[in-house]
Amino acid sequence: MTEEYIDYLTKGVCVLKRIIVACGSGVATSQTVASKVADLLEQRGIDAEVEAVDIKSLDTYIKNCDLYISITPNTSTKFDVPVISGIPFLTGMGMNEALEEVEKTLKG
Amino acid sequence: MNTSAISSLFDPNMILFNVEAKDYEDLLKKLSAQLIEKGYAKESFEDAVIEREKVYPTGLPTPGVMVALPHTKPEYVIKPAILVANLKEPVFFKEMGNGVNDIPAELVFVMAIDNPEQQVDVLKKLMDIFSNKEILTSLKSCTEVVEVIDILETQVF
Repeated sequence: MTEEYIDYLTKGVCVLKRIIVACGSGVATSQTVASKVADLLEQRGIDAEVEAVDIKSLDTYIKNCDLYISITPNTSTKFDVPVISGIPFLTGMGMNEALEEVEKTLKG
Repeated sequence: MNTSAISSLFDPNMILFNVEAKDYEDLLKKLSAQLIEKGYAKESFEDAVIEREKVYPTGLPTPGVMVALPHTKPEYVIKPAILVANLKEPVFFKEMGNGVNDIPAELVFVMAIDNPEQQVDVLKKLMDIFSNKEILTSLKSCTEVVEVIDILETQVF
């Protein structure tokens, strides 16, 4: 039994890493990026929950995630979780680097 | 997702060439009018898609041919469709995720999406096109609806 699993059982701490992707409508772009990131992580054997959310519900969701993938113009808001740009997953340019960053953040 | 659900997202009437507009607002008015006229979107789609573009721009610096993918919430959509507009001259959109850089878009995909969870497969494949310079360049050089359908069928369906 892994330490994380014991934590999960004893403290109710969810071990599954959670990523959120937000866009202005919560449809199309965020769904697509979320699904693409989920596929890429799965191919690399990384278990994570990737969820698309509406930017307006970001405040609620961000408290409960390990990483925020942003595809909206950067506001000056500071977040408690790491933020990376989701644009490389749409254009394919710099996608491997972005994916490595996601992987590093999840492991970190 | 079944094939008919995917094919039905592209309508030959929604593939347009030599589209001219003075700016992105003008362009989105013209393109929304097509979607509204053909019963894909509600009258309110036009304002909604323009307002969303102002706040959350959708221009992408894709390789070879730059694109924009304006869209809005499902509540403005009657039935799903993706309109493809091949522009006569590039129209400037702001860059997605950045909001500052100007993107001279030459191909514009207006996405009227009502059920993103069902349509995510086709959207992902469409995004794969955006990272492929050769396909974008051939889409841009198309002058006939059948050519566009042919490329989309090969790449997306």
